[in-house]
Amino acid sequence: MHRHQHYEQDHRQDHRKGRRRRAGRPLRAVAPGAAVLLAAAGCSSGGSGEAAGGTAVIALIQEPGVLSPMFSSQSGSELTEAFVVEPMFLTRPDGEQEPYLAEEVPTEENGGVSEDGLTVTYTLREGVTWSDGEPLTAEDLAFTVDVAQDPDGAALPDPEYASVESTEVVDEQTLEVTMSDPQPGYLQLFQQILPEHEFDSTAVQADDPQARMPLGTGPFVLADWASGDQITLERNEAYWRDPELPRLDGINVKIVPEAQTALSGFINGDYDTVFFFTAGDLAEIGEAQADGAQAEIATVPDMVGSVEWLWLNHSDGGDPDTPHPVLGDPAVREAIDRGIDREAIIDDVLKGYGTLSGSLVYSGIGASELEPPGHDPDAARRVLEEAGWELGSDGVREKGGERASLRFQTISGDQTRALYQQIIQQDMKDIGIELNIENVPSNRLFDSRDEGGLLASGDFDIAMSRDGLFPDPAIWLEVFASRTIPSEENPAGFSYSHWSNEEYDELEQTAATTIDPEERVEAVREADRIFTEERVAIPIYASAAGYAWNPTLTNVETDYWDGIWTPASSAEWALSAE
Amino acid sequence: MTSYRIRRCLQAVPLLLGISVIVFALLQMTPGGPMAAGEGAQSQASAEQIARLRGRYGLDDPLWMQYLKWLGGILTGDWGASFNTGRPVVEVITERLPTTLLLTGLSFGLSVLLALVVGVTAAVRHRTLFDYVSTGLAFAGLAMPSFWFGLMLLFVFSYSLDWLPSSGLADLRFRHEGFAAFLDRAEHLVLPVAVLSLVSVASLTRYVRSSMLDVLGQDYIRTARGNGLPERTVVLGHGLRNASIPVVTVAVLAIPELFLGAVITETIFGLPGMGRLFVESAELRDYPVLLGILLIASVLVVSANLLADILYGRLDPRISYE
Repeated sequence: MHRHQHYEQDHRQDHRKGRRRRAGRPLRAVAPGAAVLLAAAGCSSGGSGEAAGGTAVIALIQEPGVLSPMFSSQSGSELTEAFVVEPMFLTRPDGEQEPYLAEEVPTEENGGVSEDGLTVTYTLREGVTWSDGEPLTAEDLAFTVDVAQDPDGAALPDPEYASVESTEVVDEQTLEVTMSDPQPGYLQLFQQILPEHEFDSTAVQADDPQARMPLGTGPFVLADWASGDQITLERNEAYWRDPELPRLDGINVKIVPEAQTALSGFINGDYDTVFFFTAGDLAEIGEAQADGAQAEIATVPDMVGSVEWLWLNHSDGGDPDTPHPVLGDPAVREAIDRGIDREAIIDDVLKGYGTLSGSLVYSGIGASELEPPGHDPDAARRVLEEAGWELGSDGVREKGGERASLRFQTISGDQTRALYQQIIQQDMKDIGIELNIENVPSNRLFDSRDEGGLLASGDFDIAMSRDGLFPDPAIWLEVFASRTIPSEENPAGFSYSHWSNEEYDELEQTAATTIDPEERVEAVREADRIFTEERVAIPIYASAAGYAWNPTLTNVETDYWDGIWTPASSAEWALSAE
Repeated sequence: MTSYRIRRCLQAVPLLLGISVIVFALLQMTPGGPMAAGEGAQSQASAEQIARLRGRYGLDDPLWMQYLKWLGGILTGDWGASFNTGRPVVEVITERLPTTLLLTGLSFGLSVLLALVVGVTAAVRHRTLFDYVSTGLAFAGLAMPSFWFGLMLLFVFSYSLDWLPSSGLADLRFRHEGFAAFLDRAEHLVLPVAVLSLVSVASLTRYVRSSMLDVLGQDYIRTARGNGLPERTVVLGHGLRNASIPVVTVAVLAIPELFLGAVITETIFGLPGMGRLFVESAELRDYPVLLGILLIASVLVVSANLLADILYGRLDPRISYE
């Protein structure tokens, strides 16, 4: 079963990890007018004129348990994917894949994918070596699959590995992978490759030194990890890509658990950048910039940061057979959609660091750029009146004895969120819907059904969180398919909506099993249309992708799905000589 | 007296066992078991993987069996491995301990020193300006939240004036050697130690002062003065020596806090100490580490109390236990 990988991007209290390919966008914002754009043009200031060497300093807000992404469930391990571990395919901001460690992207045209879609051939580039000098071969690829599938090991692999039936090492550079079903996400495999020569068996345990500090092919090597204090990365002297790279001598990652301290430290010049900034941070950095602080803020065109959603519970307390007494009424959902003043949120709270978004799939393959309806409280009130929701004496609408009074919950501790929560609450009050804000720790919202997680057990009315940023929509669409709704029979299930629609289910299945890209995009767009028309969930705003770093750090390219957090970018970083 | 001490030592054993049972039980009652960090909708781990992990960690055994297994492990030196990182608990704790001890030890030493100086002076110069001012400052220090104070110090000395570094124990860009390294370390410690000392200085000062005032009013002090001893000997040799008895016992009771560190200070200044380890382990439901820390803390508290009682008896010849 494909597990939905939820990644609450902006909330640093969430220790869950998001695979960077399918989630986990560091939240950025649109650059203020005066900022330097280093993005799509891919230009760097001065080219190779920078002083080589020097050690960059990065602040890390959430320290993971282990650094190898294959064995970690926390987001901090993605740092490794930025410097040490390299992927087969590199994703660009629009979701397109390029070969990186691979020689080429396997497709049906070039014979890399068989006609029935079940066999994919992965070819490695020649001359790639691990940082200890050993060559990277197809044996390592096969080994990675074995470790991912070993039931006695502690690996926490991407869901795509579950579809692999068998592998065959054709030669040093080539691996043939046979799937049990056509797997459109075949390019999501091998984001991390494990070095076979460093392991004794495929049943890798969590305390294996490779799980803690993995070996990679990337520009930097994990040299030391003083838990709670800092992680030291050193230059990979044997970097295969280019003898000039990396330009830096090393990187010190300082663990700063207090987000405010990290941000202030960055503005003060103590850190070159922070893993990672959120929208609220960028607004603050922008203001500090205006006061004279040194910071580069860059935006990535073609890229949208994650969307903040209002998740509406379509069931009555998790009971799949009873619709929600208030939210089950499409008129109410439409009224909420029209009643929210999104512009006010973007302009006043986010200081312009956000855009309007109205579609379910808003990023990557199959993305649509729909806009949500404008702020129209009169229309909202009319819709409610016509549906029979009459204004009570206390200002709250009523229908059939049911008051339009709903719980409104999100993760506690985020001040920016608290601000626009209040705006939404006021907007709803204006149209006669009462929202009671009851924020909770992230565990409470996202825990599984057995643990009493609010979303999973359907014990909520409206919940708010960020999600949906993926280069490939399959995993995202799955969240709203009927089969993932948690229940007694399906305790591991997860749903943000407890909503069920046959047509959507069919389309979602098509998108999950068709290899043909055009067919997939069609199915995705149809599913999106159904979702949006039914107003299953209501999007509030999307952040534009952007990054911030200290101007002493140069050559910082952002034109990737992961922005600056990829070896394609980090190998080029340099410290200017000033 | 000896029999008293032996009795107290023996009583400590069932006390510690009782504490271990309570701690263990309380942890089990908190919502979200140890697998919460790894399961739930967010995690990649499938249901089978979770079941396997539970089996491996023995989480499906009945509670009393889990307790006994854990206790057995503790007594034989196997403190288990962290759920979060897989490393041995002992290693995780001993890695953080030096930083904490450095921080808390320094601030403790500083607090005691300052408290003695200011407290004694305030008592001797009772009802003078010095007394009033120091009392006022002490109350201010007690009232000030350490979180706020820490951020204020950071803002002034680190961000505005750029005199002192804002976090960590050492410079991140350069590796210093020799004396430069010592200076670098000292620079990094100034602010955290100041914050940590704040509250304890305030309360210790008050304590020293009132204890001194008590003693200075005694007859034997007047006798000593009457005998022609220099004032300094009277105050320090006779006065302080007697006044310090309760102060010493208070100080001894503060020893367990040295170990547990100070979460707020460590978080603000990014120091990898025991306090943060404790809080982070609690958040992640990392039971083995939590239990390890709590166990050490309990042992320290019980021992410190025992030590304080015995010490009090030794220092003050008027006291005798039967």
